[in-house]
Amino acid sequence: MTYDASVRKDRDGHTAPSGDRPFWGRVANWGPYRAFSAILTASPRRQFIILAAFPILWLLTQHLGPMLQMLRVSLIDAYPVAPGTPQAFTFDNYMRFFGDRIFWQPFFRTLTFAAVFTFCTLILTYPVAYFLARHVSRKNQMLMLLLLLIPFWVGEIVRTYAIMILLGNTGAVNLALKWLGLIDRPIPFMYTSFSMGIGIVYLTALYMLLPLYSALEKLPQSMNEAAADLGAGAWTRFRRISLPLTIEGISSGCILVFLISTGFYATPVLLGGPSTTVFAETIAGFFHVAGDEWPTGAAFAVIMFAAALVITGVFQKVMNMLRKGDTK
Amino acid sequence: MTKLLMNRRRFIGTTALAGAAVASPAYLRRASAQGSGEVNIWTYNDFVPESFKEQFESETGIKVNVRLVDDQGKQFNLLAAEQPNPTVDIMTVAGHRFLQFIDSELLAPLDTSRLTNWGNINPTFSESDWSTINGEKWGAPILSGMEVLSYNTELVSQEEAMTWNTLFSEKYSGQTAYIIQDMMSIVMLKLGYDGNMVEYMDDPEKAAAIVEEAKQFLIDHKPLVRKYYDSGAEFQQMMVNQDIALGHSWNGPAAALINDGFPLAMTIPNEGSYGFVYTYNVANNAPNVDNAYTFLDAILASPEIGAAMTKASGFISTYKDASNYLTDLEKKSTSFPEEQLANLQFFRAEANEMKYGLVDPAVEAVKAA
Amino acid sequence: MNRRVELNRGNRIFLACVYWAFVLYVFVPLILMIVMGFKDSKFIGFPIRSWTLDWYTGVFSDAEVLYTFGYSVVIAILSTLISVIVGTWIAVLLEGRKFWGRAVTFGLMVLPALVPGIISAIAFRIYARMLGIEPGMGAIIWAHAVHNVPFVTLVVMARLSTLPKSQIEAARDLGADPLMAFMRITLPYLVPAILGASVFCLLLSFDDFVRSFFLGGYEPTLPVLIFAMLRSGMSPEINAIATVALVLTAAIGIWAERFTRRANKESQT
Repeated sequence: MTYDASVRKDRDGHTAPSGDRPFWGRVANWGPYRAFSAILTASPRRQFIILAAFPILWLLTQHLGPMLQMLRVSLIDAYPVAPGTPQAFTFDNYMRFFGDRIFWQPFFRTLTFAAVFTFCTLILTYPVAYFLARHVSRKNQMLMLLLLLIPFWVGEIVRTYAIMILLGNTGAVNLALKWLGLIDRPIPFMYTSFSMGIGIVYLTALYMLLPLYSALEKLPQSMNEAAADLGAGAWTRFRRISLPLTIEGISSGCILVFLISTGFYATPVLLGGPSTTVFAETIAGFFHVAGDEWPTGAAFAVIMFAAALVITGVFQKVMNMLRKGDTK
Repeated sequence: MTKLLMNRRRFIGTTALAGAAVASPAYLRRASAQGSGEVNIWTYNDFVPESFKEQFESETGIKVNVRLVDDQGKQFNLLAAEQPNPTVDIMTVAGHRFLQFIDSELLAPLDTSRLTNWGNINPTFSESDWSTINGEKWGAPILSGMEVLSYNTELVSQEEAMTWNTLFSEKYSGQTAYIIQDMMSIVMLKLGYDGNMVEYMDDPEKAAAIVEEAKQFLIDHKPLVRKYYDSGAEFQQMMVNQDIALGHSWNGPAAALINDGFPLAMTIPNEGSYGFVYTYNVANNAPNVDNAYTFLDAILASPEIGAAMTKASGFISTYKDASNYLTDLEKKSTSFPEEQLANLQFFRAEANEMKYGLVDPAVEAVKAA
Repeated sequence: MNRRVELNRGNRIFLACVYWAFVLYVFVPLILMIVMGFKDSKFIGFPIRSWTLDWYTGVFSDAEVLYTFGYSVVIAILSTLISVIVGTWIAVLLEGRKFWGRAVTFGLMVLPALVPGIISAIAFRIYARMLGIEPGMGAIIWAHAVHNVPFVTLVVMARLSTLPKSQIEAARDLGADPLMAFMRITLPYLVPAILGASVFCLLLSFDDFVRSFFLGGYEPTLPVLIFAMLRSGMSPEINAIATVALVLTAAIGIWAERFTRRANKESQT
């Protein structure tokens, strides 16, 4: 991308266009702004440096800084320690994960759960977003979307307990089924991967819904109509038009939900059963229960991070390939 | 379209500005209120009775800042992250976790000669074997808890509840719950060993074999359990929802259910059980040490304060005569028959390093099994 | 023509059913929560034998709770503002640009979202001490802002990738410099994404417990208060607090919307 054209014009003394709104025209012609703009656009290289400087600085100091601290902790033999105690460099904290099978199970379970729940969230929310974006009048869209946002303002813990009184043995669902005469004894919904899934999808739905909605909302209606006029059925239209054009929203929603799901702690702990331990719980154990095994906990977190990053990366690559394959 | 966009942008801006303008002065005032004449406390909800706090502040002029914590591990982590210059003067530590805090040099020894009301504490707690470490006292006992078997009286008989075995019986399959870390100690006791592992400090192999046996026991009985839980609130919810009929719990959360009229009772089963004590501790390098001692002495002054803590938490007061200030129901929910109390012993910290070095991996293994 | 309408109607009914089923799914727990706030007992759950308004009067007579709510709202709004600005900036840098180290930059960008809560909280706490940031409101805002940046960037990048290049080029041809083109074309196009991202940030901040706990001072945020109260049981009081918080947030939202709409009308006349 080059900005030569605009740069040349600026140097020649041409003024920037004054648009429909005089405000921007005034800004563009304002002396200090033009001086600033001249500095900014002197060369593509300088422009890139100005654009990149702040984000790079932020990422290094704010994103990397705290985590380097943790990385350091993951590579020493004891922390926290009393001041003055010597600390030794070690890889043992990492080896502990690879050396003991009992840690692998929650690790792979977390990744599997996150993937499955992400898929469930997508399947559930896509029709909802589609309905909102395509079958509801503009005026009502905002209202119906806002309606869906309301429950998400209630905190994770309060909502999780609400799910307990929904699914418990004397919970609302069991009471309703009993009242209808469908069951004699309550169905034990709680403390299974089912109750956990209900809870997690409940928490993540929003993070899928909004990207999907914004992708679907800008999909031109005319395209669908044209396809229908050409005799394409509903499924074909969806598969050939809606799906490819919303792949960006799908991928962004899936990444968000996947990342959030791998980090969930409270909901799986509260709603899961004896055999649904997730890795976040294992990691937290080194901090909470033991309290003084930070190095191991930190090392495990680094492992989880690496795994999640690899999966997200592969997922993005696949999505990019799909997108390119479709536009060809 | 563009007009709508403009709306939205301004919408965010005005919200933020209005919010900041309305609220920030109050917070700034609060934040800058720090100075001399205060005492900073980390504790559980309701462990500092509100009426006591107000009275103390008005009488001494010392401002009490309470920071609510919800678990021991987080408190430890926070304090460790703050050392060597903590913001806290007094923390609430469970007695059997002293050693961890002491080894990391997070606690200062308690100078009991500065507490004129030290004698108001029942000697069972203040002079107990767990309370003295390295020849020093480390905390003022305030409330006592214990590991009990709690059961729904409409579903389980008292006779059945007198043994931990009922928790692992086919009859109540899928209707039980326990805290797995605590259960490791109880299972060791039930199998006839010392769950504190102090006896095996010189024999690590025997210790490992015992933990292995307890671990295997829990794995064998895993198909029968409904839930390994963490917090008292979870236990209460499972009882209310009738997801479980009986379970291991601490007496505090169970007492709260009993006081609310729920058909629940608790026992210290025949095989025995463990007790623990919450204590107020002075932090190492605490910023307001003198105020901390003033506060501790004041809160120990009257059994009425101890009773107020019991009412709020359900745990048993360590104060002499505190039960005089309780209602009959509260007395019932915070007392046990003598013959049951005879089976109770306190958790001890001496062997903790070895014990938890073995127990923590065992817990992971049970969860993964 | 007729056939198309038929198909659309079938689809539409199906989609409407899914939508309303979804509404049911998200609202039933919410309604249960609100109902339990009126239960005359210290615990939530069925059966409900008697009702009371005590929990609500308790919330309104306790200045501490409302104060805590306000504190959390202010933290959420300020941290969101920072996250949105920084996150959008990073998105503009990353999207559609090839440069050396882009993959690493992307990895760094998502880092805060990937680190488990407890670890990120402790890491922030240690780092804050290194930087000399005192625990309290500022530290919480800082931690929330950093943690939420990836969510903004991911959402904004998705929208940015669909921006028709022709529009930017047209603006350029008319002589707009890159900054002007960004302000006049790109930014307005990004507004829906930025709004969506703001909602995420507000939610994440408002609901965050572990970072608020580790970075906070002696004043609890709403989740910290709720966690502490949970120690003595999940009582209807917590539900009442959550309900009041919900209503107040909605009220602030509606008020702000009305306010801007009115302000906008006035500026037009």
